[in-house]
Amino acid sequence: MEVSFSKEVQQLRQGKGETFHGEGILAITKALLQSGVAYVGGYQGAPVSHLLDVMVQAEDYMAELGVHVEACSNEASAAAMLGASIHYPLRGAVTWKSVVGTNVAADALSNLASPGVTGGALIIVGEDYGEGASVIQERTHAFAMKSSLLLLDPRPQLPNMVRMVEQGFALSEACNTPAILQLRVRACHVRGSFECADNRSPAMSRKALRDEPATFDYEKLAHPPATFRQEKLKNEQRLPAARRFILEQGLNELFSGTRSVGSSVGSSDIGLIVQGGLHNTLVRALQQFNLADAFGAAELPMLVLNVTYPLVPEQIADFCRGKRAVLVVEEGQPEYLEHEIMATLRRQDVNTAIHGKDLLQMAGEYTVEVIAQGLVKFLARHAADLPLAGAQNWLAANAARRRAVVEQLAAPLPPRPPQFCTGCPERPVFSALKLAQQNVGPVHVAADIGCHSFATFEPFGFGHTILGYGMSLASRAGVSPMLKRRALAVMGDGGFWHNGLLTGVESALFNKDDAVLLIMKNGYTSATGTQDIISTPDDEIKATAENKHQSLVDRNHTIENTLRGIGVEWLRTVPSYQVDTMRRTLEEAFTTETGGLKVIIAEGECQLERQRRVKPWLAGLLKAGKRVVKVKYGVDDDVCSGDHSCIRLSGCPTLTLKDSDDPLKVDPVATVIEGCVGCGLCGENAHAATLCPSFYRVEIVQNPGLGERLLAAARRGVIGLFQKP
Amino acid sequence: MNMNQPITILIAGLGGEGGGVLAEWLVELAIRGGHPAQATSIPGVAQRTGATTYYVEIHPQSLAALGGRVPVMSLAPVPGCVDLMVASELLEAVRAIQNGFVSPERTALLTSSQRTLTTFEKLAPGDGRFDSERLLQVAGSNSRQLAAFDVGAATREAGTVPSAVLCGAIAAVAASGVLPFDRAAFEDVIRASKRGVAASLRGFALGFERCRAALGTAPAPAVAVEPDLIALGHARVVEFQDAAYGELYRQRVERLRAAERRADPQGQHGGALTREGARFLALWMAFDDVVRVADLKSRTGRFDRVRREAGAQTGEIMRIADHFKPGVTEFAGLLPEALGQGLLAWESRRRRDGKPSLAMPLKLRADSISGFLALRLLASLRWLRRRGQRYAEEQALIERWLVVVETAAANSWETAFELALCARLIKGYGATNERAKENFRHIMNCLVSTDAGTIRRAREAALTDDSGSALDAAMAQAGAPARAVKAIPVRWMKRTGHRT
Repeated sequence: MEVSFSKEVQQLRQGKGETFHGEGILAITKALLQSGVAYVGGYQGAPVSHLLDVMVQAEDYMAELGVHVEACSNEASAAAMLGASIHYPLRGAVTWKSVVGTNVAADALSNLASPGVTGGALIIVGEDYGEGASVIQERTHAFAMKSSLLLLDPRPQLPNMVRMVEQGFALSEACNTPAILQLRVRACHVRGSFECADNRSPAMSRKALRDEPATFDYEKLAHPPATFRQEKLKNEQRLPAARRFILEQGLNELFSGTRSVGSSVGSSDIGLIVQGGLHNTLVRALQQFNLADAFGAAELPMLVLNVTYPLVPEQIADFCRGKRAVLVVEEGQPEYLEHEIMATLRRQDVNTAIHGKDLLQMAGEYTVEVIAQGLVKFLARHAADLPLAGAQNWLAANAARRRAVVEQLAAPLPPRPPQFCTGCPERPVFSALKLAQQNVGPVHVAADIGCHSFATFEPFGFGHTILGYGMSLASRAGVSPMLKRRALAVMGDGGFWHNGLLTGVESALFNKDDAVLLIMKNGYTSATGTQDIISTPDDEIKATAENKHQSLVDRNHTIENTLRGIGVEWLRTVPSYQVDTMRRTLEEAFTTETGGLKVIIAEGECQLERQRRVKPWLAGLLKAGKRVVKVKYGVDDDVCSGDHSCIRLSGCPTLTLKDSDDPLKVDPVATVIEGCVGCGLCGENAHAATLCPSFYRVEIVQNPGLGERLLAAARRGVIGLFQKP
Repeated sequence: MNMNQPITILIAGLGGEGGGVLAEWLVELAIRGGHPAQATSIPGVAQRTGATTYYVEIHPQSLAALGGRVPVMSLAPVPGCVDLMVASELLEAVRAIQNGFVSPERTALLTSSQRTLTTFEKLAPGDGRFDSERLLQVAGSNSRQLAAFDVGAATREAGTVPSAVLCGAIAAVAASGVLPFDRAAFEDVIRASKRGVAASLRGFALGFERCRAALGTAPAPAVAVEPDLIALGHARVVEFQDAAYGELYRQRVERLRAAERRADPQGQHGGALTREGARFLALWMAFDDVVRVADLKSRTGRFDRVRREAGAQTGEIMRIADHFKPGVTEFAGLLPEALGQGLLAWESRRRRDGKPSLAMPLKLRADSISGFLALRLLASLRWLRRRGQRYAEEQALIERWLVVVETAAANSWETAFELALCARLIKGYGATNERAKENFRHIMNCLVSTDAGTIRRAREAALTDDSGSALDAAMAQAGAPARAVKAIPVRWMKRTGHRT
């Protein structure tokens, strides 16, 4: 795994009287233990990866508490895991990235929500929406509504986030309904503090085993006819129970404003309803109008919804009654809350004007600026007495400044998307693909989720579609029959195990599809933080490996065996740094007369993981005065033509440009900067593509042996005789 | 400092630079000082070297002074409301400015003056780099206070990570009243972090000094002294072949000079045509071939440079393996013209039939006696070059270029100048060189009689992408006929079974 969480693991042990300082997602993790969670599962993915990573690394402590932790193969298996809470009084929590993960989990979620739960079930989703999001922009909210799941969207301050976890379990049990706790990207990574409580060891756990399984109860099956009754239960019993609990426990927060109309204090004629997660942003926006202070005390009354589904009709009505207008601040589309609020007010004959998406932008993240723009319109219409100038000037100044800078720059700034790491074993594969297409013509490339999707950026620009994690092979099933040339599907080993084996390989084999699948066997789910998977090389192999530089993924054959077992006949494994071999293998796959599915496994261990082995190893050897060979690539700038075709074939971060030392040359020359890990791609490309002969590989032998030193001296002597300055 | 609003710090960096650590240090700094603080980030796939941002808010009043009141802090930076903008890379600093975060009234901008080029900038066959001078101007004119210095250099000097140097720089800015913490408080936090403390403190100290020196003073733009290109060019050509070849260079430069005098008798353009023409003429005449490469790669100076760049210490052994792939083209280049032409024709037939071009991948150990002597042997083939096909081909094209420039000079200096600059297109080896010449010929064939602007646009287009599509577009705009489509072998796969 990329990060070591030893410090965080210690924090999990904190108890009453101690203060936790750290990341939001870790506060949530701690809150799970304070809530007496019995089992935890999930599938990694930003921004919630750390929850599971820490739990996995806290193995020993979890055993002490009797908590079971499972790194699930995908979100569906994580959701299904919550089935434990249907019969048993077990508190369970699972986590994943949403909305994509929730899509994968949807089947199990529906079948969990219908019978409902006995023990509290909490689903912690990272709402990957807005800035920094890496997935399609949709709302998890829809899943809560369609399956009658509870949806918590806590005000992003650590004490409140922790309270919502604890209350979330209680709420889930009070209404026998699973709850989703939704955290935005920044809320997961927010660093703050809260006062800890002691962790609770669950009553029923790995340490306290139950003698007998639950008695058979047809009503707990998501199976007809039980399902018909369960649907009724949702709206006749569970949601009403949830609403009662939300009111009684004050899960939603009412901040009465200082604004007053007429005599009665705090009797504001306008108000704001906001998703908990947006509270801080709204307060900062109000500060631009001088309508709130640094501590959140605002002029306007605010109903903060820590629970966004279900809403409590009487709470909404009480807040709106007596107000001329209320602005609903709700991020994302469509405006589910706004619609529900309008409907509930209409039913209760409360005729407050409700605004939301009519004044605020429909799509995209609600930043302070976006909310302020909506507030300007809202206040202008309903509170002419309030000062708008300050905010308006601020907004105008921002716009003017941006325009001015664009003019000063005269040219658009180049983007800087993420890219393959230095020495990444996937980069050479795409160099080979680029070369192969020069020989056999362009092919349709079905791309997938994972590091390899960086090949959609410069200098490669490969990938016609991305249909989901592990979906690449399946996504070309309708394409390849229509094209003269074979289609290529690229998939990571992460995607292969998450989904690709069944949705892709099995289907292609069964239908005798003529297709090419390229699997990046780097040994980890690298893009999500290099978590281990079933095809990860064993720890003892890593420990005993003589040369820590070498890739070790070839020691694990789970993928190959699985493919052969399921019936793949055309199977090639190519070390990914062998660009020319890979090019030839790709060309063969595209042109061979053999029909059916052809699989190429590009074998090369994630460079991040290798460097984590190599660095301490080399440091140790040098400390002990042992022999170490340092490898680096370089470019002779007097030979470099300044054409940069090497860069167009690689894009390595350490292969870059510098001004030429030669005053005659005007174009910058290629150079290899420090950070080069000597992966060998430069040399491989120089040969596979016939680049200019300016590349060299240099080996520096530290602490050389006597024989070596003598030989080197002899060579220098002879060479010196013939060498020109 | 407004005591009733949080101090806001936005950090823009690239993945893997330790921006997260820096944000952590700042929060720790505040907590130790008894101030409420909050940090958030958009790490995304941070370690995958994409652009990342970290945002920190610290309340200027201590918890004690606040008496239990808890400030509500923003999770995201607010445009125009950032007190301190920190960037480890110049372009990212300007990106933050373009996004409106930096305010000329409020924001102190602390940025590295060095560039980490984006892939996008590195792709152009010419120079696709964004103008750093302009970036610095924008940074200066859009911030209340600018401190720009080379963070990368300081990091290397101190042998640490950028975050340590930046932390020192922040401490220096803090001293100017942005943050209520003194230098010692910063250093205590680094000490408490325990990991690589010594190196971090070295970097911190260096960052502190460099930043204090840079505060307010905009870095002076480097003034380049224009060397005597003609002398340099002559030396280059003589070194490439011999004195006679050098003489030929002089004669050709004189032809350029004469042409320019005709076009610009008053010398209003300061002899730019002659100077720039001489520059590219020299590079062209000293064209890249096996002989030259072998010579350059076997020199003492080269061995020393490689040692230096690889950071080899005394007593450490260096091994160099050079990557060569000489092909038919390189070989034919040294053969007599007729023979060489025949060989090339045969090769192009093979390629047309879809056969891979013949070339021999070599990994030559330049530091081994055999490898080194092989290089010297190749370098000694200079005498063959003069009689070779490549030599003849280059001279013919050079002569054609000279005539084109001379003819154009009779009418317009501008046109002649732009045509002279087209020699810049000629560069590289093998395929690159073929592509370059093809573009060059295309322009010479179609645009000699057009205006300067058209020629410049075409030349610049040729240097923006290697596919040639930009050039084709520019040429089409100039009304030039489209190039003949290159024949490339395409292989169809054979369908098997009724299913596909």
